[in-house]
Amino acid sequence: MADENILLNVAGLSAAVDEKVILHDVDLTVGAGETHVLMGPNGAGKSTLGHVVMGDPEYTVTGGKITFNGQDITDLSTDKRSHAGLFLSFQAPVEIPGVPVSSFLRAISAGRPGVGDMKGKQFRKHVKELAEELNMDPAYLDRELGVGFSGGEKKKLEMLQLLLLEPKLAFLDETDSGLDVDALSVVSRGMEVYRKRCNGTLVIITHNTRILEHVDVNRVHVLVKGRMTAEGDASMIADIDENGFEQFEQAAAAAAE
Amino acid sequence: MAKQRTEVADIDRSLYDFSYGDSTEKLEAGLTPEIVREISEKKDEPEWMLQHRLKSLEIYRNMPTSDWGPSIAGLDMDNIVTYVKPNTDQKSDWDSLPDDVKNTFDRLGIPEAERSYLAGVGAQYDSELVYHNMQDTASRMGIVYSGIEEALHDPQWEPLIREKFMTLIPPTDHKFAALHGAVWSGGSFVYVPKDTKLDFPLQSYFRLNAKGAGQFEHTLIIVEDGADLHFIEGCSAPKYNVANLHAGAVELFVGKNAHLRYSTIENWSKNMYNLNTKRSTCDEGGSIEWVSGSFGSHVGYLYPMSILAGRKSTCTFTGITFAGTGQNLDTGCKVVLAAPETSASIETKSISKGGGVSTFRSSVVATPKAENSACSVSCQSLMLDDHSRSDTIPAMDIRCKHVDIGHEATIGRIGDDKVFYLMSRGISEEEARTMIVNGFADPVSKELPLEYAVEMNNLIKLEMEGAIG
Amino acid sequence: MGADVLNNVNAMPAPTWHRLGMNETAVELPEGLSFAAQVEVEAAAELIGEAGAFDAAVAALQERVDAARAAGPADTRAILKAVDPDVDPADLDIPALSTYEHKAARQEMANNVAEAFECGMGEQATAWLAEAAGKGAATVFAPAAGKHGQATVRIAGVDGAANVAAIDVVAPAGATFDLTVSLDSPAAGSGVVGVVLRVFAGENAHVNVTSVHTLDETWMALDDTGIVCDEGAFVTVRHRMLGAGKSYTGLATDLRGDLSRVDVDTRYLAAGQDVRDFNYIVRHRGKKTRCNIDANGALMGESKKVLRGTIDLVRGCKGAEGTERETVLLVDERVENKTIPVILCDEDDVAGNHGATIGHVAADQLFYLKCRGLSQEAAEGLFATATLEETALAVEDETVRAGVGRLAGRLGIPYQEVEG
Repeated sequence: MADENILLNVAGLSAAVDEKVILHDVDLTVGAGETHVLMGPNGAGKSTLGHVVMGDPEYTVTGGKITFNGQDITDLSTDKRSHAGLFLSFQAPVEIPGVPVSSFLRAISAGRPGVGDMKGKQFRKHVKELAEELNMDPAYLDRELGVGFSGGEKKKLEMLQLLLLEPKLAFLDETDSGLDVDALSVVSRGMEVYRKRCNGTLVIITHNTRILEHVDVNRVHVLVKGRMTAEGDASMIADIDENGFEQFEQAAAAAAE
Repeated sequence: MAKQRTEVADIDRSLYDFSYGDSTEKLEAGLTPEIVREISEKKDEPEWMLQHRLKSLEIYRNMPTSDWGPSIAGLDMDNIVTYVKPNTDQKSDWDSLPDDVKNTFDRLGIPEAERSYLAGVGAQYDSELVYHNMQDTASRMGIVYSGIEEALHDPQWEPLIREKFMTLIPPTDHKFAALHGAVWSGGSFVYVPKDTKLDFPLQSYFRLNAKGAGQFEHTLIIVEDGADLHFIEGCSAPKYNVANLHAGAVELFVGKNAHLRYSTIENWSKNMYNLNTKRSTCDEGGSIEWVSGSFGSHVGYLYPMSILAGRKSTCTFTGITFAGTGQNLDTGCKVVLAAPETSASIETKSISKGGGVSTFRSSVVATPKAENSACSVSCQSLMLDDHSRSDTIPAMDIRCKHVDIGHEATIGRIGDDKVFYLMSRGISEEEARTMIVNGFADPVSKELPLEYAVEMNNLIKLEMEGAIG
Repeated sequence: MGADVLNNVNAMPAPTWHRLGMNETAVELPEGLSFAAQVEVEAAAELIGEAGAFDAAVAALQERVDAARAAGPADTRAILKAVDPDVDPADLDIPALSTYEHKAARQEMANNVAEAFECGMGEQATAWLAEAAGKGAATVFAPAAGKHGQATVRIAGVDGAANVAAIDVVAPAGATFDLTVSLDSPAAGSGVVGVVLRVFAGENAHVNVTSVHTLDETWMALDDTGIVCDEGAFVTVRHRMLGAGKSYTGLATDLRGDLSRVDVDTRYLAAGQDVRDFNYIVRHRGKKTRCNIDANGALMGESKKVLRGTIDLVRGCKGAEGTERETVLLVDERVENKTIPVILCDEDDVAGNHGATIGHVAADQLFYLKCRGLSQEAAEGLFATATLEETALAVEDETVRAGVGRLAGRLGIPYQEVEG
């Protein structure tokens, strides 16, 4: 990969929560327009990696560097990372009682080129179109954020934000979405539109391979016990499907020695 | 099968309800400047203390009684004897005490407790301390544990007492703080020097034996920077058919990074008006832990207060109140977050039964200086029948943006589903209910020294035992 | 023209330490107020009922209450003995009741619906509001049994005056009724805008009350409500206290009938030197009665707020459940927030819960919002925006929406208008 094509570069990243180290010396390089998959067994630290790249204050970065779009963002605040073009879809989006979805969407669009410049009416029309694209009932836009939403509805709202904000790179934390057919199809649809419309870059976090069936994957990364233990092309997906993660666990154990 | 309700028996207080005769010397009942002067004279106090008493009496006379708490109409101050001197001077071995006094404390198990797990004991009988003793190891560490009046007569401590006395609880605080300021007598003084940690607790026990009398002891504890102390306070009285009054005051000064745990099991008899005031202040990094059980008294007003004055100081409060027949217990706590990064955690339980009334009352105040402070309050009330009463009145006054204040409270009865579950496993209904109430009280009992936890569990068991159906 | 100061306003039933300054409040009225009585009522003519309908409904309920009492067992509790005027205060077997507990016991013995009726702001304020509205000038809404009706009452600020509406809603069995009240100040000036509302919700009736304050900071709002619920009645109250320099809101509900229920959903905003003062009281008297009080607010500038919420589980309300929750966002450093969620209980077979969360945006919510590009300030600002936009979405009334839009402009809060 040519250097100028690199969008995200994570180098030697270590992170801890309350003294407990969760990520050990992790490297990850993602080129613009590519689709990567981050796989690994439960508790490997996959979601953590997404959160740390996004700057979750829950975790302390104890080593390494995160470069995005040529800028060192390791110490950048989370909201600035978002404005720089990073996106993280949440496995379990929070509920914020009292805040209508429409108010929330308007607020997060403020100050962004394109959507931020739209007039009220134009903006509402745009949001409505995106909702229809995701088969989302526009009535949800008047409801309180996340309150009483089903898993599938929450997922739809995450995808709607992805398409609204059009980030340069999106981490999609889909660790559990494979369990829910409804959620699975929403995510697939969201990814497809995002890739097509924005030539988007994706890092899909999952341990379930069904979600990847209709996606052209460039690279696969395997995270086990907080360490990157393998990397390869899309053929790894079929291998993992068949043989699971046991094959990588030894390498992780050896690295931990 | 007809559903039967567990009738809960009145607490068996025979453990505390006995008297071996009356003390010899009493002042006239009632409250006049002459009586106050007489108390002061008997104690041969410094002039400033006499002035403090007279000023307090003036405040007392001009202050209204509270209009929000349990009625104290049954308390006729003209009939309360404010000073009762026991027929002995203070001793440092139990055997030197007169038989009636010695037998009283023996029955309460105090000498035995001293032998087995305490570093020092003070025992007050009516208005005066009759016993004070501390292990040599503790005195060698420089720890002072004595009667507060004794310390007041010691030129080494008099200036410090003068500096601190009734500064946390000024006589203007409320009517009974003023009364305390006027007629206080007895109580303990504790001084723990810098970086000194005492491994075993000190205990003061207050016994009010005289009928129709008041007890007004003053406890002053100073824990210097980096020091650590566990202090236990016990109290009881035999039951009379006339009102007795307890209006003590406890002032606790916790230094930088110092730690003080203050445990109380209050088990006054049911003719007692307990209008006690307790207050602490913590310097930077200091911590105060209150463990408070209120079981006795006809009327109780008790809200230990923690002033978190230093950065990163902390407070935990664990309390239980059990109000039975004829009792109206208004208890709770007060917290002031007055410095950055302070934290307070309050957990209380209250139980009402047999027509008793229990009120949880609290105040949490965060001043503008309390940035990044946190306070959580959790209070649970259990109603054991439908002719009792339980109120929860928690006030919060928050004037600082960067704080996290959480408050949760629930009220209800023992769930039939829980009883059914336990019965389906072969446990009798009575046993099941006792088990559930003990479980309810567990967060408090596990904070108590073992001997006290056993005592508390016994009190609850006695309450729960007896007629079912 | 009446008193200059209204005392003992929004008093909690069971008071606590006076030095906290939460027990009640005194309302200083502007000097030289005239009474305007300029109220705009929008309702179908057949909905207008007769004066006295409220008292007649209460009297009819009283007959059934008395019959039920006569059929029940006598009450022999020690608490009631304490109320006996001949009781010896030195009797140690009788609990020494506080003034409030004494009053509660007397009220239980009297069992009188009309006597126990209260509006949340308290006697003096309620009487003053009634006087300001004009004697006998109450608008009475009385939908027919089993029928649906709706009405909107708009009360706009009149410079130098107290403009007050007195409203009675008497919903007979099975009726549903929606009432929207708007307290607004489209024109400049100062004065008092108020409403005193009495609601009688009959058997299985369903009454929805929405009250929105969008006044400018030169105005004072007084919003006083008292509700009586018969069996199975369900009343929802939406309070949107967004504007006014000072607003005082009192709401008292008597859940007298079995299975009756009240839900209170409150949102408030305060900025600058604003004062928001609330007193909510719900008395559970009937069996299996329910209440949910849910309040959310954001305090900005140097505003001051006190919210008293009392759930009173009166003996006999077997199976009742009362829940109360407040979430307060403190946006600026100099705000003062007072919260006092009280549960009073003399019944065992009940569930009472209350909770309060006070401070800044919760950590998980804040991280989520930051992930979407909002700074800390923007995240806090979102809550103010959301409070306004939610009101405009929820209340389909052009006066209200215009008022909310004007308020947003005055406070400088980002706001997108709702399509009409």
